[in-house]
Amino acid sequence: MPELVLEHVEIERGGRTLLRDISLTLDGGVVAVIGPNGVGKTTLLRTIAGVLAPAAGVVRLDGVEVRALDPRERALRIALVEPTEPVLAALTVGDAVASARFPHHRWWEWEATPADEFAVDDALARTGLATFRAREIGTLSAGERQRVWIALAIAQQASVVLLDEPTSHLDLRASVETLQLVRELAAAGALVVCVLHQLEEAAAFADRVVVLGDGSVVADGRPEIAITTMTIERAYGVTLSVERRPEGLAFHRNVTPSSSS
Amino acid sequence: MRLAALAALVPLAMLIGIAVGGAALAPGTLVHALLHPSAGDDAATILWQLRVPRVAIAAVVGAALALAGTLLQALLRNPIVDPYLTGVASGAGASIAIAATIGITPVLIPPMGFVSGLATAVLVAVLARRGPRLDPERLVLAGVSLSALLSAIVTLALERLARGTASEAIIAWLAGSLAGRSWGDLAAAAPELVLGTLIGAATIPALNVLRLGEGRAATLGVHVVRLQWALLVASTLLTAAAVALAGLLGFVGLIVPHLARRVVGPDLRVLVPAAVLVGAALVVLADALARTIAAPAEIPLGVLLAFVGVPTFLVLYLRGIARAYA
Repeated sequence: MPELVLEHVEIERGGRTLLRDISLTLDGGVVAVIGPNGVGKTTLLRTIAGVLAPAAGVVRLDGVEVRALDPRERALRIALVEPTEPVLAALTVGDAVASARFPHHRWWEWEATPADEFAVDDALARTGLATFRAREIGTLSAGERQRVWIALAIAQQASVVLLDEPTSHLDLRASVETLQLVRELAAAGALVVCVLHQLEEAAAFADRVVVLGDGSVVADGRPEIAITTMTIERAYGVTLSVERRPEGLAFHRNVTPSSSS
Repeated sequence: MRLAALAALVPLAMLIGIAVGGAALAPGTLVHALLHPSAGDDAATILWQLRVPRVAIAAVVGAALALAGTLLQALLRNPIVDPYLTGVASGAGASIAIAATIGITPVLIPPMGFVSGLATAVLVAVLARRGPRLDPERLVLAGVSLSALLSAIVTLALERLARGTASEAIIAWLAGSLAGRSWGDLAAAAPELVLGTLIGAATIPALNVLRLGEGRAATLGVHVVRLQWALLVASTLLTAAAVALAGLLGFVGLIVPHLARRVVGPDLRVLVPAAVLVGAALVVLADALARTIAAPAEIPLGVLLAFVGVPTFLVLYLRGIARAYA
């Protein structure tokens, strides 16, 4: 099981400090990161991925600083799924997913190996995309496209999978299917860190929830411990009644901005 | 399979290029001269001193421009990018214009054009930098605006030289032509061509990943900054060599990648060799046409290519190539 450690990490964007002194140890399962818009969730994810450097502190994966890794070595260990970036529309699903094998090759190795073919086939099968191989990405729905990005992360065979809002723009069914895939990744041994907007999704699918608010970690723990009326009010500045039930958390959305904000 | 068909196109185009020209040679004479390069008769001389080098240079220039265009379009993720965007052509043009104005010996003009083309590309790259990486939008802006400035210098020189013969050098360069090119010119351009091709070829797997977007490519292990600079160097060397050999040949670097993509699809491992083959065949055929349709006069090759290229570009554009990213 991979161990990802953040030590006193400080995160800036555009000269502004977003998060201060974040220390976390993540060692498996599905970790949901929630918090209001602009709090720094995406930037935190990119910092964990090693794409951005922290303003202070350090991120280590299994004892190795992720920023010190060569991009290829990093890609063998960490997959980052960001759904928003534009992609060549004429690219087929099969070609896109095959790109995930890039870090497994040296620059002069152009041909796919049997291991590549197996990884791509497996990723397409597990995401229900086996019949989509020849489809162009430009013709896919938002939910189908999201499955392509997750298939990419599966084919990459990294032990850490980071997902930025994998369910945004998806309908209920596509969201549930996506999050089930995320759970399967964790069941197969990956550490999955997932930025989510919907508290219900975090409560239902995550093993652990990190609540960010006002520049720091407001709460961190099992969903029923991290997501409470108090932590939500501190993070989002709204009052939301959270009720613990035997089947999980229930949210009562007669939401009003709290007087303190 | 499709690549093999395209590969067959090049020798076919070259045969046509060798067969046509100012002096009519009977097929028998042609074959004899081809098989006996050192026969010493007129046919062998025409063939091996004039036509063969010219056709070879046409093929090399077409291949170089197509390769540079394919690489730059993939790098900038912009389907309407042309290899002259990096300022190589306009830099060379301006220096040739200045050289003609102050009366520099014609022998020095091609190397001067080459060096100033490279210098302009470096300036464009410096302007396009954002931190260590190249910003595609800045690169386009810097390339277009510097090119406009340098074109103005060419126009100014032409206007001042209008009544003299020195303007011929500038006009010949602007019109694009392979007239009078020899093996020596090709040998002089060979190092840049080879280096540019090798660097370009080495980047192809990473460029394929870049089709998913810069951010995804970076997380998939592509060293994006290194890739950007390698491709800029490769495309600049290739374009500078092509410009030194043939002047301004518009639209080859823009159109050929699209034509090749229609035939073999977007996988750069196949697309790049396909574009190289199509580019070579296209310029060889266009040059053969330029030499024959108004014989004994020659139509400038660049002008002919523009007549073919502009309508093709418009058709492609109207069909929506500009919306290639979703």
